[in-house]
Amino acid sequence: MTEPLNESTPDLLPHEMGIDQLLRQSMSASAPSLSPDFDRRLMRTLNRRSQPFDRYRRILLTSYALVSVVTCVVVMRGQGLAWGPVAGMIVAPLILVATARFMRRTTKSFSA
Amino acid sequence: MENDAQLVARVQSGDQKAFEELVSRYRERVFRLAVSILGREFVPEAEDVAQEAFLKAHNAIQTFRGDAEFGSWIYRITFNQAMNLKARVRFRAPHEDVSALDQAVARDPGPEQQAETKQRAQALAECMETLPEVYQSSLRLYYWLGAGVTEIADLLDVPENTVKSYLHRARQLLHGMLKERGYSCD
Repeated sequence: MTEPLNESTPDLLPHEMGIDQLLRQSMSASAPSLSPDFDRRLMRTLNRRSQPFDRYRRILLTSYALVSVVTCVVVMRGQGLAWGPVAGMIVAPLILVATARFMRRTTKSFSA
Repeated sequence: MENDAQLVARVQSGDQKAFEELVSRYRERVFRLAVSILGREFVPEAEDVAQEAFLKAHNAIQTFRGDAEFGSWIYRITFNQAMNLKARVRFRAPHEDVSALDQAVARDPGPEQQAETKQRAQALAECMETLPEVYQSSLRLYYWLGAGVTEIADLLDVPENTVKSYLHRARQLLHGMLKERGYSCD
């Protein structure tokens, strides 16, 4: 929505004429415009960022999570902890991460 | 033609085409706002800011409840994004590029007058950098990008009278600063 350059400045006080002219002169370079491929680049970036994990990454992450949980359970049980605290200590960080993520998203959308 | 709220609702339900439509409606204005904040030296960066603003809007669109217009929302994101970038690149030289100064010089005959004009334009560029961001943005939108008061008010999300006051106050401040430096504006 590019409007033509203002020919005259409204509500200009007499002593502002000089600075008005000076500003027009110093900013007389042509206005820039967006590159023609802006939309294409934007949609490409958007698709790249919103692409879900590929199969390999998903398997890797799931395996890592399972091994971690099993290791934690074995170690904690080995230390003589009951099942309740063991389950609590594994689930609590996950709840914490989920809550933090939710809070961050809420704050972000509020500030945006 | 669908309005913004309808398009936003379609994006929220996963329609990418609706987002493309929103981008094509707002890309120019978002870019103009970004470039007005960053200045002439940062046109490529302004394009990056515009892109990042749209990406952020897309990421947060599920939380957009339509309390405000989509336009105001995307402009606010752009403004914050451009201000963040500007804070990071503030160490760089004043924004008014040499070509603009040369253009200003070319209109005045005589070497002495040319030198005077060049110095004054340089001083003006330096003084502008010291103005509050909304004044700088208003001045660039008005004098460089040819935006009207209504468009500036829309982009900065302020009433039209506030824009007029920004422009008036900015001119007054610049006039005073140039006078202090010994340059005449008359």
